[in-house]
Amino acid sequence: MGSRGFAKSSLSDRLFDAVVYLYAAFVLVITLYPFLHVAAISLNDSIDTVRGGITIYPRKFTLKNYEVIFSYQHLGTGFRNSALRTLIGTALGVISSSMIAYTLSRKDFQGRRFVSVFLALTMYVSGGLIPFFLLIRELNMMNTFAVYILPGIVSAFNVFVVRSFIDGLPYALQESAKIDGANDFTIYWRIILPLTKPALATIALFVAVGHWNSWFDTYLFNSQAEHLTTLQYELMKVLQSTQSNVDYRARNMTEVMAQISPESVKMAITMVVTLPILFVYPFLQRYFVKGMTLGAVKS
Amino acid sequence: MEAATTKERKTETRYGRTGRFFRKALQNRWLYAMSLPFVVWVFVFSYLPLWGWMMAFQRYRPGRPFSEQEWVGLEHFRALFQDDLFYQALRNTLAMSLMGLVAGFVVPIFFALMLNEVRQMLFKRFVQTVSYLPHFVSWVVVAGIVTKMLSTEGGPVNDLLLWLGVIDQPYQFMAKGKLFWIIVTLADVWKETGWNAIIYLAAIAGIGPELYEAARVDGASRLQQMWHITLPGIRTTIVILLIMSIGHLISIGFEKQFLLGNNLVREYSQVLDLYALNYGLGMGRFSFGTAINIFNSVVSVILLFAANGIFKRVTRESIM
Amino acid sequence: MGGVSDSMYRKKKWWVLMLAVVMLAGLIAGCGGKKNDGGGSGGGNAGGGTSTSAGSGSGSGSGDSGGGELEPITFTFYGADPNPNWQNMQDAVGRAITAATGVTLDAEFEVGDPQQKISLIAASGKYPHLISPKGDLGKLVEAGAMLDLTDLIEQHAPNIKKLFGDQIKRLRYSEDDPSIYVIPTYAEVGQTYFDAGGGFQLQHRVVKELGFPRIRTVKDFENAIREYLKKHPTDENGNKNIGLTLNADDWRMYISVTNPAFYTTGGPDDGEYHINIDTYEVTYHFRRPIEKEYFRWLNHMNAEGLLDPESFVQKYDQYLAKIASGRVLGLIDQRWDFQEGENALKAEGKFEYGYGHYPVTLTEEFKETSFWPVGFSPGWGVGITVDCPDPVRAIKFLDFLASEEGQILDNWGIEGEHYVYENGKRVIPEAITERKKTDPTGFQRESGIGLYHNLGAHYGDGVLDSTGNYYTTNFPEQIVATYNDAEKEVLAAYGATTWKDLFPSENEFPVKPWGAAWNIQVPADSELNVLQERMKEITWRRIPQAILAPPEDFDRIWDEYQQELLDAGVEKMEDEYEKLVRARVKLWNE
Repeated sequence: MGSRGFAKSSLSDRLFDAVVYLYAAFVLVITLYPFLHVAAISLNDSIDTVRGGITIYPRKFTLKNYEVIFSYQHLGTGFRNSALRTLIGTALGVISSSMIAYTLSRKDFQGRRFVSVFLALTMYVSGGLIPFFLLIRELNMMNTFAVYILPGIVSAFNVFVVRSFIDGLPYALQESAKIDGANDFTIYWRIILPLTKPALATIALFVAVGHWNSWFDTYLFNSQAEHLTTLQYELMKVLQSTQSNVDYRARNMTEVMAQISPESVKMAITMVVTLPILFVYPFLQRYFVKGMTLGAVKS
Repeated sequence: MEAATTKERKTETRYGRTGRFFRKALQNRWLYAMSLPFVVWVFVFSYLPLWGWMMAFQRYRPGRPFSEQEWVGLEHFRALFQDDLFYQALRNTLAMSLMGLVAGFVVPIFFALMLNEVRQMLFKRFVQTVSYLPHFVSWVVVAGIVTKMLSTEGGPVNDLLLWLGVIDQPYQFMAKGKLFWIIVTLADVWKETGWNAIIYLAAIAGIGPELYEAARVDGASRLQQMWHITLPGIRTTIVILLIMSIGHLISIGFEKQFLLGNNLVREYSQVLDLYALNYGLGMGRFSFGTAINIFNSVVSVILLFAANGIFKRVTRESIM
Repeated sequence: MGGVSDSMYRKKKWWVLMLAVVMLAGLIAGCGGKKNDGGGSGGGNAGGGTSTSAGSGSGSGSGDSGGGELEPITFTFYGADPNPNWQNMQDAVGRAITAATGVTLDAEFEVGDPQQKISLIAASGKYPHLISPKGDLGKLVEAGAMLDLTDLIEQHAPNIKKLFGDQIKRLRYSEDDPSIYVIPTYAEVGQTYFDAGGGFQLQHRVVKELGFPRIRTVKDFENAIREYLKKHPTDENGNKNIGLTLNADDWRMYISVTNPAFYTTGGPDDGEYHINIDTYEVTYHFRRPIEKEYFRWLNHMNAEGLLDPESFVQKYDQYLAKIASGRVLGLIDQRWDFQEGENALKAEGKFEYGYGHYPVTLTEEFKETSFWPVGFSPGWGVGITVDCPDPVRAIKFLDFLASEEGQILDNWGIEGEHYVYENGKRVIPEAITERKKTDPTGFQRESGIGLYHNLGAHYGDGVLDSTGNYYTTNFPEQIVATYNDAEKEVLAAYGATTWKDLFPSENEFPVKPWGAAWNIQVPADSELNVLQERMKEITWRRIPQAILAPPEDFDRIWDEYQQELLDAGVEKMEDEYEKLVRARVKLWNE
């Protein structure tokens, strides 16, 4: 909380600080470990990895595991499609969630109870895979880019999260806007949106990660359309290929020696998927790791 | 927002309740415009497929048109409720859910509160970024790490306990069924706390700094500020998430239980979703699987309404 | 965060937003199917390296492919097994096949769980022209999606007929429905096994130090381990040596823990059942009294401290790591199941720490049954659906793949490029062999060798073609060449040239009229499915418990286990299964 300034720090405050920093350091260490472990294995020679005992640094450095991944011809297409759907899907998802959330935050909205219940139920109720599949087919959304975006635009969870944020804003803001003659949409667009940035950043993160990691819809609906493939789907195929290479057809020991074990490739895949997220993340982070203010509330 | 002007009261008496309804609707027209299209959307993609629930009352065979399916009424449900394994899976599921619920709230909130108190911006952001990394590491890898940590041959936990003299022989943690639930809960905390804390951090970011100013002036310590300002400031968010999580109590997936489990702890590791997979979809028994699905949904909705109702009464916050 | 003044400005912005949203939506909707990849996917390049010869230089004569029009035609295909190096037939072999048949396959291969995919395909009513559904054929048959191939084979597929000979009866679906729905493409006709990968395993250094004792019964195995452990309780780093460790992670339980129970007691591999060859009576194999003694022996091993206590807790990668550390003296597993661990040892040059395969049984009265022949076991394969526009062309295509020319293309490649003839013998040039070893993926993508293996029916190892060469590239002479010196030393001491020599061979066993029981398709809605799953649950819980318990508790636990099985309906399961076995025997033998 940067706006605190230089207050006198008492003993209790300093003790408090010590505890806080120790705890943070502890969390840092135990959560960094699995990731470094994955990174280490991904950079380690796969036959050597079988021996076990790798902790956070590679014993026998190699880039072979990554080579396997990047030699896959459709990877670029997958990357592009995943990036595209992440961008579009996130924008639409944020707008839709916040818009609905705003309407639900208005206690004078007639449809409030209905829409809330209607949405909430969708989180716990599902008709199963086959009806959904048939529906997409009926709507002619097979082998389209739209099937990545359209069905999932509304997320009840995100709606309720944003709504809880909007509820924390003083209603006086909206009242004064109404007096100035603003309609509901304008209030939403010009007042609510800017003030709920932390919430928007949060759900943007959730939606974005969801899109980035998804492959199941590709698998179900677009598996025949090579140009619509997604990154994760391609990576699954990479994994498949390494798994089937460890097969029994290669009884010849020397053939086997040249192969890469699926374990190592799995780790490399994890890195390939996660690193882009890590690069983009700091841009979102500043919105909700506190620094911002509500100063404008007073205006 | 009530704006009962004389004009409106007059209209009301003239047209009665329907008139009042439509008048209100007109007032709300923007709000309707901003929500109804999505309602239609949700209806198409989430409610229409529910016709699939009828499969639970048939002996469904894919490929045959719907009209040709055989109807068997409640047979699948009866089979479900007569199965001992079902109750065992149910017990395990609820136990781990409840433990997971408690741990999954207390720890991330605590973490968010603590992290918020870190004043060194760079360190704070670094820790926060690293903290959610385990979320992206698959359960396969995490389960492998946990198993190795707890193993009797060179596992760090056993080594530590031996060195401290707490035990004199390595202890097979992963073989004890009774410990399984705790291991799963702890592993989940390790993996998901950072990610789950993000929402709370965002909520904390929305608390006005003037509240803290005032408290400092009054001489409140950091701890007191945290307890009296930060925590209540995110109360709404906590309640909302709590209600939604309670609804999910019964469908917690099965991946981590499957990967962390082994044949020695089967009695404690079988959960409902795994049972549904093994005996339903995994066997091609769509109807049976759908029946379990319906059971899950019904229980979830009941839990949802119950939680919502209770919290509405007690804290005046709710989602519906 | 501007103010709320300026209504004109606001209105403009509102419409702009709406316009943008509509445009975006339109763009997305219209985008479907038209998005083109600049990288030239979808039938363009052959990815990876340069595709070698443009036209196929090999004999693309019509030969056995039944003549007829060679007009280009494309069939859609779905395969339930992954085939990640598929190049849309732009590889060398693929082009040769297209040149010979005019057929191009627009193929999709499975990436996840085929069962779900097949259910969706069945439910959707739209089928690919050709399909290989593996174990889920039943769903498609029920949906009426599959064509009966009997006449097509009879009239248009001479190679397929020749390949299967009089075993063609085994391709029939069931008694009630004797149609042929798939051409088996996984089973290898006439397969001969050149080596043993099962049995019990002991490290070479163990048998060497003990003077190559006879390893014939579990007692011999146990004694060898015990003696060696006494002399060498730890390795050079002070880490404990392990007598025996088991591979019990999920389905590997079957391989390492439960299947050996019948291999060592004279029972053939019929999945989870034991079938009496004369009466066809079916027993859930754990109910055979003799198998109790096998598990009692494992319990004894545990009590003596010779069994790794972590056997049932460790994950697969931990198991492999233990093997790779060289400390595990004995294993009960199949080579492909622990190969990665052994490879790590070999990579370090620790050949003495490798494992030999021994035909261990419970007592001398039993024969080790790893090589009990099953005859030709058709099973999974390729079928033609009702949506196929030209079934005759389709069957001719499949027939080509089953022809000698087709099989040589699939296994060996293109003459002149991937193999040459030296004095009538087919030989693979050194450069190609090197390439196969160092860059198997790239090589497969370019050449296409092996990509079509499960698309067509084929002969197995050890079968000679019309030129006197082998159909496949695995032949007996190769096996010995892959042995390292430590292995050869051990084999020589036991008077054998390959591990298989130590095992009872195929002709020591009578032929089973039902083939292999694990191959029998259980109908989807049969109660058997549920019963089998239940028994598995009970068994997987009780067996580890019985093995790890103190010896005095073994009998009690075993009796409880048997009673639990009875309570869960095991007798019903056995009866139901017997019906299936009898049906199969009838179907195949009349």
